[in-house]
Amino acid sequence: MAVTVLIVDDHPSFRATARLLLEVEGYDVVGEARDGAEAIEAAGRLKPDLVLLDVNLPDIDGFEVASRLTKPANGTPSSGPAVILTSSRDSSDFGSLVGASGARGFIPKAELSGASLAALLE
Amino acid sequence: MSTRRLLWGIGAAGVVIGVLVAVLIAISDTIDDHAANIMAALLIGWSFLGVGLYAWGTRPSNRIGPLMVGVGFAWMLGMLQCSDLALPFTIGLVMSPSAFAIVLHLLLAYPTGRLGSRAARAVVALGYVDVVVGSLVYAMLARNPDGIENTPRNLLLVDDAPGAADAALTVLSVVGIVAIVSGALLLVARWRAASTPRRRSLAPLLWTGALLLAFAAIMLAADLAGSEDLEDGFSIFSVFLLTAAPYAYLAGLMSSGWARGRTMGDLVSGLNAAEARSGVRDAMAEALGDPTLDVAFKRHDRDEWVDAHGRRFEPPPDREVTEIARDGQVIGALVHRGGLSGDPELLRAVADTAALALENERLQAELRARVAELQESRANLISFGLAERRRLERDLHDGAQQRLVALSLQVNLARAKLDDDPATAATLLDTAKEELSQALDELRELARGIHPAILTDQGLGPAVSALAERSPVPVEIEPLPEERLPPPVEAAAYFVVSEALANVAKYAQASQATVRVVRFDGHAVVEVADDGVGGADAARGTGLRGLADRVEALDGRLEIVSPIGRGTTVRADLPCASS
Repeated sequence: MAVTVLIVDDHPSFRATARLLLEVEGYDVVGEARDGAEAIEAAGRLKPDLVLLDVNLPDIDGFEVASRLTKPANGTPSSGPAVILTSSRDSSDFGSLVGASGARGFIPKAELSGASLAALLE
Repeated sequence: MSTRRLLWGIGAAGVVIGVLVAVLIAISDTIDDHAANIMAALLIGWSFLGVGLYAWGTRPSNRIGPLMVGVGFAWMLGMLQCSDLALPFTIGLVMSPSAFAIVLHLLLAYPTGRLGSRAARAVVALGYVDVVVGSLVYAMLARNPDGIENTPRNLLLVDDAPGAADAALTVLSVVGIVAIVSGALLLVARWRAASTPRRRSLAPLLWTGALLLAFAAIMLAADLAGSEDLEDGFSIFSVFLLTAAPYAYLAGLMSSGWARGRTMGDLVSGLNAAEARSGVRDAMAEALGDPTLDVAFKRHDRDEWVDAHGRRFEPPPDREVTEIARDGQVIGALVHRGGLSGDPELLRAVADTAALALENERLQAELRARVAELQESRANLISFGLAERRRLERDLHDGAQQRLVALSLQVNLARAKLDDDPATAATLLDTAKEELSQALDELRELARGIHPAILTDQGLGPAVSALAERSPVPVEIEPLPEERLPPPVEAAAYFVVSEALANVAKYAQASQATVRVVRFDGHAVVEVADDGVGGADAARGTGLRGLADRVEALDGRLEIVSPIGRGTTVRADLPCASS
C-alpha cells in the first residue's frame, strides 16, 4: 500500500509541484496545509504516514510543529506520523534544531524526490 | 553746555532761591515760628537738591536725579506760603502740593527713572493734574487759604467763595489720596515681583517712600477732616522724615550700584571658579538669585537652540528669555523667571560679563550636539544597514530562491516523466523556463536596489531617467548637471530620488512629479516635488529616516515639506567639496 503524505508549506507553487512529484513516485498525497495550525489539525484528522513539513511557516515554526506531531500528549510516540522537514535553506543553517525536533530528517527543497524521502523513512 | 556746568548752575540757583526763601520767611509777619519754618524749607529743599544733583551727575541718563532736584525746588517754592508778601505767598500757595506729586513720580520711576507700566504713568499723571489744576482752582476761590485770617493778598483770587473753595479742596484731597493709594499698590506689586538683588536696592527707598506717602495721605485726610493740628506747619517728626527722604533715595541708589557691583563680583568670581563647578549657568544663577535660571546656546551651524550638553532646547512658555549677543551675533539666551526682566540693566550687565565665557560654552555645546548627531546618525546607519541586509535576505529567500527551488523540482519531475509521458515533461520544462526568467527579473531588481549598475557606469542623469521611466506617475526631469558628482554623493542623490519617487507612487496620489538636481556653491541640491495630497511625515516609516541618515552621514541635510493638500517636496542638500 502506498505511503500517505501530508504536505505543509505556505507557498502554493511548492505544494503543487511536490504533490505532482510525489504522486509520480508512487506516494499517496492525502492533504495539504498552509501553516502550522492547519498542519496539526490535518495530521490529527487524516492520520498520514508521513508529513513533509516546511521549516518557515507563517505562524508556528516547523520545528515546533514537528515536535507537537511526534510527541503527542498521551505519551505514545508510535501513534504519530513520521515527519520530514524541508526548506529552501540548507540543513546547516539550522544547526541542531532538526535533530532536536523529533523529525526523521531534513531534505533541502531542491533535492526533494521519492528516493530521498524513502532513504529517510527506512 | 556740559552736564557739569548745567548742574553747577542749577546748584547755584537752588542756593540763591533757598536763601531768598529763608529771608522772606524771616521777615514775614504772618507766621510765628520763623526758625522752624526756615529749617524745614532749607533742610528738606537743599537735601533733595544736593542728592538730586549728585545722582544726576553720577548717572546723567537716569531721570531720578532731575526728579529729586525738582522736588527740592518745588518744596522751597511751596514754603513761600509763609511769606507775608503777595507774590511769594501766591507762588507758595500754588507750589506747595506739587512736591508730593513729584515724590510720587520719583517713587514709581525708581530706580531706572522710567515709568515701567501704563498704570504707573496713569497714577503719576493723575497726581500732576491734581496738584496743578486743584491748587490753581483753589487759589482762585480762597481769599484765606487753609482758613487762616490775615493772609497776604492772593494774587490769583478771582472770587472769594469759601464754599466752592472747600469743595475744590475736598476734590483735590480725595483725588490725591486715590493717586497715593494706587501708587502704594503698584509699589507692593513691584516688591513682590522683584528678584533678590533688586529687593536689596529697593528696600530703603520703599520704607521711606511708604512713610512719605503715608504722611501725605494723613495730611490730606486731616485737611478733609478739618483738623487744626497741622495749621501751624509741620511737626518736628515730619521735618525729620522729609529731611531723611532724599538720603534714603541716595542710599537706595548707592545700594543699587552696590547690589549690581556685588552681583558682578559674585559673577566674576563664579566664572573664574566655573571650571571646578558645573559651568557658567551656576555662576549666573547665583549672581542673579534665580536658581531656576537656564542658559541656552545658539548653534551657528544651524538655526537651533541647545543646552550645555548639546541637546535640543525649547524654552518653556511660562519663562522669559533674554538673548545674549557678542560682536553683534546672538550666542545664547538666559531663560529666567519673570521678575528678573524688571531690572533689564542688571540682566544686561550679567549677560555682557558672561558673554565671553558663554561663547566658550556655546562652542562646546555646539560640538557636543554635533558629536551626538554623528553618533546617532552612525548608529542609525548601522541599524539601517542591518535592516537592509535582513530585507535582502528575505527578498532573496521569498523570491528568487523559491522560484529556483520550484524550478529544480520541475526539472526533477520532467526528468522522471521523460520516458513515459514526454508531452507532460515538455509542459513542465516550459513552466520551468518561465520560472527561471521570473527569477532572473527578481534578481536584477534586487541588485539594482543594492547599487544600480547604471549609476556606476553612466552617472546620475541616466540613472534618474531609468527611475523616471519605471515610475507609474509621470516624472519630469529638469536638466541635470553634466559633470559627475563624487560617488558617495551620487549614490545618496540617486537613493533620494528613488525613495521619493517610490513614495510618490505609493502614497501621494499625485498626477506628476518633478526631479531637479542643481549644483550650487560646493553643494548638490536634489529635489523631488509632486502635486499630490501632502501630509508626509519623515518620522513615520523607515524609508525617509534611512535616507536622512544616509544624507547626514555626508554632512548634508534632508528636508521634507509636505503641507496637507499641497504636494510634497523632498530636498537633500549634499556638500560635495571633494569634487
